[in-house]
Amino acid sequence: MLDQAILEYGREKGFHKQTLERWLKFPEADREAMLELARGLRTGENHFRDLMDWLEEVSLRDGVSVLEILKGKSIEPIWSDPRLGRNDKLRRIKEELRRLRFPRLVQVEGEIQKRIRQMKLRPQIKISVPPNLEGGTLTLQLRATGHEELRGLFREISQILEGTEMKEIFDLLMGREQNAGFSAS
Amino acid sequence: MLDFQPHEVIVEVGSEESPILRNLRRSLPGIPITFVDHPQRFLSAIRASKDPLGKGKRHLLLMRHKGDFLKKCPGSEGQVCCNYFVINFASNCPMECSYCYLQDYLAQNPALKVFSNVADLLEETYNLLSRHRRFFFRIGTGEITDSLALDPYIGFSEEIVPFFAEQPNVLLELKTKSDRVEGLLQLDPKGRIVVSWSMNPQRVIDEDEHLTASFDERLLAAHRCQEAGYKLGFHFDPMIEYPGWEEDYEKMVDRIFALVDHRRVAWISMGVLRNTPSLKRIMRQRFSSTRLLSGEQVLCPDGKMRYFQPLRVSMYRKMLRWIRAASPTVFVYLCMETKEVWEQVFGFAPSCEKELGNQMARR
Repeated sequence: MLDQAILEYGREKGFHKQTLERWLKFPEADREAMLELARGLRTGENHFRDLMDWLEEVSLRDGVSVLEILKGKSIEPIWSDPRLGRNDKLRRIKEELRRLRFPRLVQVEGEIQKRIRQMKLRPQIKISVPPNLEGGTLTLQLRATGHEELRGLFREISQILEGTEMKEIFDLLMGREQNAGFSAS
Repeated sequence: MLDFQPHEVIVEVGSEESPILRNLRRSLPGIPITFVDHPQRFLSAIRASKDPLGKGKRHLLLMRHKGDFLKKCPGSEGQVCCNYFVINFASNCPMECSYCYLQDYLAQNPALKVFSNVADLLEETYNLLSRHRRFFFRIGTGEITDSLALDPYIGFSEEIVPFFAEQPNVLLELKTKSDRVEGLLQLDPKGRIVVSWSMNPQRVIDEDEHLTASFDERLLAAHRCQEAGYKLGFHFDPMIEYPGWEEDYEKMVDRIFALVDHRRVAWISMGVLRNTPSLKRIMRQRFSSTRLLSGEQVLCPDGKMRYFQPLRVSMYRKMLRWIRAASPTVFVYLCMETKEVWEQVFGFAPSCEKELGNQMARR
């Protein structure tokens, strides 16, 4: 019955055979929980594969079932929040699962964003880091409509460079231990 | 390390005179040998089995290689390259590392093959080296197989070490996770051969490097090779991150340098675990419980998944510190990493592949 329902959902959404085969290999309670999630969020294959990858890998790493992850304190409150629409739930559940799957990466990203906020930049100045921090570079964008405005932005950048935040961001990008806390033990 | 015991040796007709077959007959006396006109039929049967990669490792196919033996190491797009050539004397490997990229690379061609026409291999190599005597080459045999795991059975080192020892413009690297060095110890490398080991702590070997030699066996084999006059190399690749990895890797580095003479180590490389999405799919099927699937790896622009950059840079810097404490002068390089990562780890990046290759050739 359950497997039939999974195959039906997969057919309806055009899932590849390999994706369905993987899904069907999970223990029954996990298969069912994943079906409930997929139906509730009406996920297409790409989102579902991300969710399945992360759930499986967190489960393997932490020795917990997929069902336990989905009913745990990170995901359940989002799932059962009546104020959230389907798209918001999908986005927040994916964010939360990514945080569970990549805890230290998300932590470093958070530390960088914290320092960017601490700089209290004008909206015309934007600092960004690459997706997943790969590349190790920081991008600085300035938007100005005139010469004087641009000079002002450069002055602000000079002041920012006098502070500690920018240096700390580069330290975080370089995996400097005192900030990143990379000891896995 | 366990002996290699294939179920069967399959020999392509035309390979009867190969020194490799002579050695196989001597070293595997109880193993049936079957001669076939067309190895393709055997290859099709392997491909059709439930676990082609596993089945491929339990049979040994001896056949002629019809293309070029020598190739430029492909490296990886956008990464700093070390200008290396590879000789493919065999394809696939009798060992079973859960992370091995050959599972994906050889998925359509999973047989364990050894090529019988060694004379052609030597001729092709001689032609390259003698045509370009002004250039110094580094050539390895461990790209799509292990350089030494089959050596007691096929005796390949006896064929190539004396040849390379006489060439003035080359270093040959034999890269292995085995301890099969007996065939090397009677030969004189004349400074032209580097025997190198892929090294990991015993915990990683136990969990993910199945059928390979233990750490102690590899280290002892390295020591014996150094005593016999070979240069050594060590590849800390793939480095694996897990709770307690720092202690294990630091101890490993200390133990290596406590036994070997660091002044006669030609090079050390570092590289973290690399996957591709398709390799991960295969690993899920073949090694579903390996924890290597759940590391904090992200997709990089070259299509490979690595630990996210700040994490792996931190790993490299720690490892470099431990290596430098044991040996301040040994040459260390990164395998398949970008210039940005080189800068973050060493404070510089080679300006071009020639520069890195030349530095290594001088070792």
